[in-house]
Amino acid sequence: MGRDWPDILGGLALAVIGAGSAGWASVHYDLGTLRQMGPGFFPVLLGAMLAVLGLTVALPAWRRAGQPLPVHPGAVAAVLASIVVFGVGMPKLGLVVATALSVLIATLPAPHRGWMWQILLTLAVTALTVLLFSAGLRMTLPLWPRVP
Amino acid sequence: MTTWEGLFYGIGFALQPGILIYCLLGVVLGSFVGVLPGIGAMAAISLLLPVTYYITAEAALIMLAGVYYGAQYGGAVASILMRLPGTPQSAVTALDGYPMARSGRAGVALFAAMASSFAGSIIGILVLVLMAGWLSRAATAFGAADYAAMMILGLVAASTIGTDRLAKGFAMVTLGLLLGCVGTDVNSGVQRFTFGQTELLDGINLVALAIGLFGVAEVMANVRDPDRQAVAERIGLRRLVPERDDLRRMGGPTLRGSALGSFFGALPGTGSTLSSFLSYAMEKRVARRPERFGKGAVEGVAGPEAANNAAAITAFVPTLTLGIPGDPIMALMLGALVIHGIQPGPLMLEARPEMFWGLVASFGIGNLLLLILNLPLIGIWVALLRIPFRWLYPAILIFVCLGVYSVRGLGFDIIAVAVIGLAGYLLALAAFSPALLLLGFVLGPLIETNLRRALLISRGDPMVFLERPIAAGFVLASTALLLLSLWQAVARRRRAKTG
Repeated sequence: MGRDWPDILGGLALAVIGAGSAGWASVHYDLGTLRQMGPGFFPVLLGAMLAVLGLTVALPAWRRAGQPLPVHPGAVAAVLASIVVFGVGMPKLGLVVATALSVLIATLPAPHRGWMWQILLTLAVTALTVLLFSAGLRMTLPLWPRVP
Repeated sequence: MTTWEGLFYGIGFALQPGILIYCLLGVVLGSFVGVLPGIGAMAAISLLLPVTYYITAEAALIMLAGVYYGAQYGGAVASILMRLPGTPQSAVTALDGYPMARSGRAGVALFAAMASSFAGSIIGILVLVLMAGWLSRAATAFGAADYAAMMILGLVAASTIGTDRLAKGFAMVTLGLLLGCVGTDVNSGVQRFTFGQTELLDGINLVALAIGLFGVAEVMANVRDPDRQAVAERIGLRRLVPERDDLRRMGGPTLRGSALGSFFGALPGTGSTLSSFLSYAMEKRVARRPERFGKGAVEGVAGPEAANNAAAITAFVPTLTLGIPGDPIMALMLGALVIHGIQPGPLMLEARPEMFWGLVASFGIGNLLLLILNLPLIGIWVALLRIPFRWLYPAILIFVCLGVYSVRGLGFDIIAVAVIGLAGYLLALAAFSPALLLLGFVLGPLIETNLRRALLISRGDPMVFLERPIAAGFVLASTALLLLSLWQAVARRRRAKTG
């Protein structure tokens, strides 16, 4: 028998986040009174609500068949990698190298064969980025890799 | 300032070159993203948020608003020509617009969409001007309890209307409210959920959150889209001028759609998507020959397009006069104002007339620009529809990173965007609405502050929410809405079991 896994996992994750936040807030922050609410009051209330709602989503899903989801792990991984490479690489490698690497990684999962368009796109986007952000908007960004 | 003075003042303000250029930029960009399937107004506004740091608050608001209503015009083009709604608001337009295009009447369908959008916007502007003055006078009587109750009504309405899974909607709103708690507590100075990260002292960055949830997540979902085939060929674009019969059919639906849209746009939680669906349903019901609908009835294009554009304008009523956004896009608009240190409220009409009247005037100017620009530019939009997504998204990702980075110069924010993007992708995949999360996030601090203030004034007595007539009205409406949707859910389940 199939189960509605997206709802089960999503609901449980929310319930854990809710219970965790409520627990953390009740230990670390002052609850206060209804008249003089402390910083912990609202988070504890919301955390508890989220925990209940998460379970409300997850429990009925256990007895229900779900639909398979169109997940594309490759696409997700490439987009994530592209952003992280840019974020980590830009200060050290400079704008030009970081942009080129990031664009190249991002194009990997695209549903199109051949590599010419990837190279062309990389060159075009890199040139555009440098022109627009560095020359045009005058953001102070390192352009080239830092020489040690 | 009387209404007429205000309008003239606003037109003068919005026609300054330094403002007009942002209005033009906004509407052109809006049309562009509206035409492109895969990037909606939400994503476009998120991506533009970093830009707003560099311009005045008025220019920022006018530009972002232009993106919003511009996207509705563009969305109609994609709906009619390719049955690919660029925005959820224009999904209904495809029902009759696409059959019209298939039968060689694309030009007429586009004309109907543009003309009724324009008419809807103008009616929306009139309603906005009339309501805003009245509401901001009435709102001076609002206390903390009333504000809190009204915001709760907004959240309840947003998470119950238009969804069939109540628990999921409420869970997203609650998660958003919880995320809104992160950072330094305004009342006590205590750092909540920062875990020693100095980057989180001011809370989760709205720009990073919006860009991650909408920009990055939408890119992830669309990367694998195959290249679109050029289907929009030879569809009779040359004949834009409608026949007299078409014009006669368009009038009623446009007026009814505008009225419907103006009303539902101003209510919290409903917004323009619902208005366009309701208008379609209404036109089908009042039509003498409802069987024509779905096969290319011009009424099915004119009504919903008038409705969603009117709603896009009147949605600004609660945002500007009360400082309470009724839907996630308005939450982003409010966020853009808060970035500039402006908290809209009942006094804004008096205190910042250039903001309110300038925006109102820019609605008129922007819609006129859209009407003038879009008909000649349809050829360009058709060409744009053929650009494969793979040529666009790598550049979008780079602009996202640099945009977020430019706000605070922190690499932390770029990594945060990646993490939030992944979360947003998974949430949307499992049909949890990221838009509701954002609405909760923006309203969270406002609700908490007003709740605490209300209970402090009432000395901890929660009955204050039932004793003040305004608050009691909102509480009553929230409860009724909640019970109604619970009852509907139960009824639906029972029907599914027996049927």
